[in-house]
Amino acid sequence: MKQIVPLHINGDIHEVAIEPGATLLRVLREHLGLIGTKRGCDSGGCGCCTVHLDGKAVYSCMTFALQVAGRKITTIEGLSPDGRLNRLQDAFVEAGAVQCGYCTCGMIMAAQQLLDVTQTPTEEEIRRAIAGNLCRCTGYHKIVAAIKLASAP
Amino acid sequence: MALPKLREFITPADAQGVLNALRNYQDRALIVAGGTFLHGLESRGLLTHVEALIDIQRLGLDYLESGKDGLKLGATALFADLETMPEIRNDPWLGAIKDALVFPPVQVKNAATIGGSVAASCPFFDVPISFMCLDGVVKCRGSSGMRDIPMQEFFTGLFANAMENGEFMVELAIPRPRTRSASAFMKVETNANDLAILNAAVRIDVDESGTCSDARVIAGGGVGETPIRLSDAEQVLVRQRLTPEICARAGLSAKGSVNPISDHRASAAYRSEMTRVMVNRALRQALDRLRQ
Amino acid sequence: MAKFDVVGHSVRRPDAYDKVTGGRGFPVNVTLPGMLHARMLRSPYAHARIRSINASAAEKLAGVKAVLTPGDVPQKKFSPLFFMPTESNELIRDLVLLSENIRYAGQPVAAVAASTPDIAEAALDLIDVDYEELTAVFDPEEAMQPGAPRISPTAANNIARTPTLSRGDLEAGFREADEIFEGTYCTQRVHTCYMEPRVCVVDSDMQGNLTVYASVQHIFGLREKLAYVLSRPESGIKVVKSPYIGGGFGSKLDLVYIEPLAALLSLKTRRPVRMEHTRYEDFITNARHPMKVYLKTGVKKDGTFTARYAKTIVDTGAYATHGPEVIMVHAVFSFFSAYRCPHQKWDGVVVYTNNMLGGAFRGYGAPQGCWAVESQIDEICHGLKMDPLEFRLKNAHHEGDAHPFLKQFTLASYRLADCINQGAERIGWKNRSRTPSGAGTKRRGIGVACHPLWVSGCVGLPDIYEHSGAIVKLNRDGTADLATATIDMGTGQNTTLCQIAAEELGIAAESVRMSYADTDTVPFDAPSHASRVTYSAGNAVKAAAGEARRRLLQVAGEMLEADAADLEVRKGIVQVKGSPDVNLTVAEVVSRAESPLVQMTAAGPKVTTIKEKGSIIGVSSMAPPGNPSPCAAEFVEVEVDTETGAVKVLRVVYAHDIGRVINPAAAQGQVEGGVQQGIGYALMEHLQFDPGTGACVTGDFLDYKMPTAVEMPAEIESIFIESDEPTGPFGAKGLSEVCLTIPAPAIANAIFNAVGVRVRDLPITPEKILAGLGKL
Repeated sequence: MKQIVPLHINGDIHEVAIEPGATLLRVLREHLGLIGTKRGCDSGGCGCCTVHLDGKAVYSCMTFALQVAGRKITTIEGLSPDGRLNRLQDAFVEAGAVQCGYCTCGMIMAAQQLLDVTQTPTEEEIRRAIAGNLCRCTGYHKIVAAIKLASAP
Repeated sequence: MALPKLREFITPADAQGVLNALRNYQDRALIVAGGTFLHGLESRGLLTHVEALIDIQRLGLDYLESGKDGLKLGATALFADLETMPEIRNDPWLGAIKDALVFPPVQVKNAATIGGSVAASCPFFDVPISFMCLDGVVKCRGSSGMRDIPMQEFFTGLFANAMENGEFMVELAIPRPRTRSASAFMKVETNANDLAILNAAVRIDVDESGTCSDARVIAGGGVGETPIRLSDAEQVLVRQRLTPEICARAGLSAKGSVNPISDHRASAAYRSEMTRVMVNRALRQALDRLRQ
Repeated sequence: MAKFDVVGHSVRRPDAYDKVTGGRGFPVNVTLPGMLHARMLRSPYAHARIRSINASAAEKLAGVKAVLTPGDVPQKKFSPLFFMPTESNELIRDLVLLSENIRYAGQPVAAVAASTPDIAEAALDLIDVDYEELTAVFDPEEAMQPGAPRISPTAANNIARTPTLSRGDLEAGFREADEIFEGTYCTQRVHTCYMEPRVCVVDSDMQGNLTVYASVQHIFGLREKLAYVLSRPESGIKVVKSPYIGGGFGSKLDLVYIEPLAALLSLKTRRPVRMEHTRYEDFITNARHPMKVYLKTGVKKDGTFTARYAKTIVDTGAYATHGPEVIMVHAVFSFFSAYRCPHQKWDGVVVYTNNMLGGAFRGYGAPQGCWAVESQIDEICHGLKMDPLEFRLKNAHHEGDAHPFLKQFTLASYRLADCINQGAERIGWKNRSRTPSGAGTKRRGIGVACHPLWVSGCVGLPDIYEHSGAIVKLNRDGTADLATATIDMGTGQNTTLCQIAAEELGIAAESVRMSYADTDTVPFDAPSHASRVTYSAGNAVKAAAGEARRRLLQVAGEMLEADAADLEVRKGIVQVKGSPDVNLTVAEVVSRAESPLVQMTAAGPKVTTIKEKGSIIGVSSMAPPGNPSPCAAEFVEVEVDTETGAVKVLRVVYAHDIGRVINPAAAQGQVEGGVQQGIGYALMEHLQFDPGTGACVTGDFLDYKMPTAVEMPAEIESIFIESDEPTGPFGAKGLSEVCLTIPAPAIANAIFNAVGVRVRDLPITPEKILAGLGKL
């Protein structure tokens, strides 16, 4: 039985008819065309689907869409609403942290939360903050460098 | 579709609503909170019978309270919030919880709940055994009211626990120790987003003379279908002045009392030896905390 | 050294802007109006025969639009490899799209297209299959025994191939030896773990023409194999190149079931059909072949090889697919031709089992061989009390030598000695202790491994596609569009190929844009594989850009009334050599070339010349001029916890002769990613299966472990030896694969240095180390 609920995403309110088992990931991609959020594993193992729920990074593949009605959801599309890269996105480009790019949006969402709460994180804090996100191209090396770059005073 | 029979996602506003839903659906309902483990069960085909999901996140159970008797942790309080409690960060007696909370990825900490981690009854989880070593008590609610189940009696098998059909967990209570106490947690894992190959949580209480008055030694992660309390190892510690040598002896005893599983992640022999090493290291860590 | 304006600079990747804001270009995002969703039913049995299959209940389910069972699909046998001609003699064609003969757990038996993925999934449960279960065999050596279950009807004892290579007189070589070393080295099945799942969308028109979008490393290979399997003309299939794909690492070099099944479902329904793997399906689709390598090696006391023998057993899985090919690349490039030795022999056995299919994975047989050879060299050096660097240098090839395998080429650029010496300097090799060092329960050690011979593509090897093509078209604003079939799977070709074009055209890197391509519109190209793109596609791009540049200078010559030979173009300006004041911008020249012949000016009509008319465009389609060998040495420092057996890689120094570096940041990225995959291969990654049923038990990232940022060393240092390959585009040669072939033996050798434990079976799990220390 579908329920129609309001989803507050990137400042917009979407009324969506949602099946009981639908994940937030699926609703973002299939109902709302917010395709920046990626499916990599559907079991909380890769981090490609990371979004912010009330400002905190969560796996959208593990979040039921019906659980988050009315709460503030931010996806990668919400980080650059005026069409300009934010500081972290720009640092990813500058540091060469993007290779195939499939993990990138989830990686940025995880790193963004770290930078939202920690001004100048240590190397260890950075690595822990993205430990829930897998990357197969970069060895994380330039990703860590990009996060440092974005956090530099 | 791993939830092929799912018909309803129920979001009760109060406990009675949860109880009603549980009565309607019996064992065909599943309580959800953070949902971080549900998909692991789902993808293994373990939830094909589920017809209703009951979200308990709107019941106001996300409180974290500290009083003179100890901690009261609401079932839907998040790992991320628990981690920021000043007592968890600073107090030696809660060290095991602090240690265990290092391991989950941030996305899990922001969604996983105290109640979910306990009620999932997965023997490979980290946080629940830190509660176990602190003599945590599960408070669950059923149609006939509230019931207390000590953590050490809570787990009854793989994904099975002592709650009855129709009951759900609302709180975890941790009693404040009456003497000086410290706890610690250690884990063997392959990467930083892993279930435990083996984990251990310990607590040591000491009296004014510095002698160990009580101890808890818990091992999990493949030592069996549930985490287990290793009383023999505890007895090695009690009434002793704790030294590294005593810790090592307790580790050896712990190894002798487990009969772990072999699976694709590790052999039983390795898990046995890691029981020794992790118990020993956790005790040494707790001892260091006592001396702080 | 020539001065370059664009080459050698870490220009920003143009596709990164899109990727950090949402990554719209991935094939996983393709949706078409009216699109159906398809799913596959897979066999739970590893070895079985289907007695009957009844899909009528599934067909009746509301929303189901088409069902395919073995009786509905062509039973034509094929090889799925994109990079070789389908009818190559080298290959064994034995795969069938949907068969009644089941040879591995997870083999597809039916497919459903429905209006939603959930309906398609639900329909699978309604398909009734009656299986006759057969005895399965999972161990390749058991599979070769008399009486073992017969997997392929044409392969006696389940042996698919037994190739050999031989040179000199092996027995004489062993007689010359002062010492002989023997050992058996095993590698495990691992997955590439590309992040974007295999996915395709196939559309068909009323004439039966197909348009295909897919996450693959080769659009022409997909077209060829699809045409073959479906017995349809290649001209009726258009494969559209995605702007980029989410990783591949070799896994996306095969036709997998989804593309032909989606095509048939689309033809049946006349609607677009999308098919996407779950992560579990990705894990059981193809994986690096496990190999067991026995080595017997004779050496002089001074460390000179006198005789080398190897025998390799390859588990090719249920169907031959890559087995017959991967074993040859393995033999040649990681054993037979790696070092100088007069007397050598190698025997290979490719064995069928009831395991999942093998596939390509970065290095293609070389990681397994390097694991054996580079581990054994460390053992030999320990036995001879010889420095492992000196040993390798003594037996290595030299710059200017004839290519040890491809006799038509020489090692014109080959600086392995520089790799070894510079890497050793940086890691502090001379301070390396011969005895374990460290404090408490931790011990530290340093190890090295080399990959002396590899490829920059595949020219000269039998039946492997090698040529590349490009179209470079200049725009009136002074920019250029580059179109090529080469797919960027994350390696950076969208950037480096544009840099090569820009350098050749004399314009800025940002002025070249990677443009649209599909199999209808651009020249044939070999896949993105075999460390070939920078070299082979780079040469083709340089040739196309060179042609456009020549035309640009011709037109400019007409405009400036100068001889084209006297003109040069740099930084977007065409000028007379030595007279920089006589110049035009590239934009002006292109605008003139595309302008009307007679132009109205204030002074009246002005006639230009016919000679200067026509778009300025360059097209190339060519085989690469050679196959130069990159070479590399990797040094690692590890710390071993002697109580838990856990290994932490602390530091990596990787020195690689790749010729001219086109984009240093991109090249470093290849190294750093290779280190991640190499640490995973060495220490933790392992696709495992239930020994009874053959079902995969590591089918998600909870159970299939690879390094996260926490397990990775903070220090990864890349040293590039820029040897200036004479046949390379601006001196470049290949890079990618070697980054992954040598970390595992380097780590094993460092562990031996740290704790004296030699592990010969990958992965080096903590418990193997504890067992070696006598603690289990």
